Amino acid sequence: MAERVLDARWLEPPEPMELTLAAIDSLEPGDHLRLLIHRTPYMLFPILKEWGFSYQSHSNDDGTYEVLIWRKEQAAPSRTPP
Amino acid sequence: MTQPASLSLDQAPPFAVPFRFFLTAPLFALTAALVLLWQGPDLLSSRWNPALLGTTHLLTLGHMGLIMLGAILQMLPVVAGAPVGRPGLTAALVHTLGTGGIVLLCSGLIFTLPLALKLAMPTLGTALLLFAAMVVVTLRRALPHNMTVRAMRLAALMLAATALLGLTLLSNYAFGWWLQAREALTNLHLTWGLLGWVGILVVGVAYQVVPMFQLTPHYPARLTRWLAPALFVLLPGLALTNHAPRLRILLGTLLAAGFAAFALTTLWLQLKRRRKLPDVTLNFWRGGLLCLLLAIALWLTAQIAPAIGMTQSYSLLLGVLMIAGFAMSVINGMLYKIVPFLVWFHLQSRRGPSGPKVPNVREILPETRTARQMWLHFAALGTLLAAVLWPASFAYPAALLFGASNLWLWLNIVSASRTYHRVNAEIVRANASAA
Repeated sequence: MAERVLDARWLEPPEPMELTLAAIDSLEPGDHLRLLIHRTPYMLFPILKEWGFSYQSHSNDDGTYEVLIWRKEQAAPSRTPP
Repeated sequence: MTQPASLSLDQAPPFAVPFRFFLTAPLFALTAALVLLWQGPDLLSSRWNPALLGTTHLLTLGHMGLIMLGAILQMLPVVAGAPVGRPGLTAALVHTLGTGGIVLLCSGLIFTLPLALKLAMPTLGTALLLFAAMVVVTLRRALPHNMTVRAMRLAALMLAATALLGLTLLSNYAFGWWLQAREALTNLHLTWGLLGWVGILVVGVAYQVVPMFQLTPHYPARLTRWLAPALFVLLPGLALTNHAPRLRILLGTLLAAGFAAFALTTLWLQLKRRRKLPDVTLNFWRGGLLCLLLAIALWLTAQIAPAIGMTQSYSLLLGVLMIAGFAMSVINGMLYKIVPFLVWFHLQSRRGPSGPKVPNVREILPETRTARQMWLHFAALGTLLAAVLWPASFAYPAALLFGASNLWLWLNIVSASRTYHRVNAEIVRANASAA
């Protein structure tokens, strides 16, 4: 149940999406991804759904966002980093 | 964006929805260049020359209009959080009626064919008014405090007003009835079209795309809250100042100040972007905004020295600066972000995890090709401005450069679209063999 962290803050679009899809493509079963990003990646969500992933997005106090991404059949990971 | 993350965007429109518009549009700009090549310096003899009116509409409706319509259909679900109902059918209807109507209108004006002009009225009128109504209705469900949504709604209302004025003027050309206020209505039509529909839309879209693509700070909240509504209120005011020249100059100066504030703010934000990398889209924006500022300076000069406003080339220069300079540059630059992204996005969502490899956006549309097309566009623009002042020397070179630039833009979009179909076929094959 490991967490992978991807820091895609202040990368030019669609680089954050490209890196995210590459990262979840190689996720081990049971693992999840924590994506750090400077704005809500609206266009990423339909692809995640299409690929069979669930996600949960929330904003930080500094105006950036964190998106947790995990396979639909797994239990949702906790929002606080392990 | 100020929307909840629970927003459902499953309804991103199909690939063909925006692409049918993007693939058609540059061919109209190419046709405009061919008309200039055929007519030569005579085309630029007067702003009232019907062939020039037809050529202008090849650019404003055929090229710019179609791209703006396609881009709005793509953007609505994202900015409004509400999909367009039946996007495939809406796009097919607006695109078919729109392109048919544009061909009828422009050929009717260029070749003096009253029947084509009569047929253009219902086709083009339906397409534009249907589209404007669809945007306003779809955005009613959007969140009210999104400033892009607000600007888009106001721009759609200006599109409807511009289209209604255009239909009035068109009926005058088609049926030859006496219209005393033709010059005043024409000036209002082009002001509402270029500053209301195009101008307010570019302003509203910039609030989203400039910070997003160029990693700049956000636009100041005061500007995003007030600018689009202020422009929207000032534009109808121009209709009431026909017999009040002083009031007209005041309203015009306020409009000019609003657009200058937008241009200067955008250029300033771009200087403060986080990553100082060279970028074709950024340079298109800079060139476009510079042309907007030059147009404003030219208009102000003509208010101070009325003799300049009386010259034949004054209104043509304004037109070239606003259409080929401002609007076409910004639109061309945005296409180079939207087109490769949509190809990549649709392929990624269809391939699924561990499917066939999808090329990245830089492979879909290489920067070497887009950068060269950009320099050609700006060379064409400079030559077009020279052609207004010295038609005999520059009309033909301008036509050749402008034609080559738009042919190249079209080929770039075609090549991205072919990449989509090629990789999509691979994905379909891979999915079939996996099943």
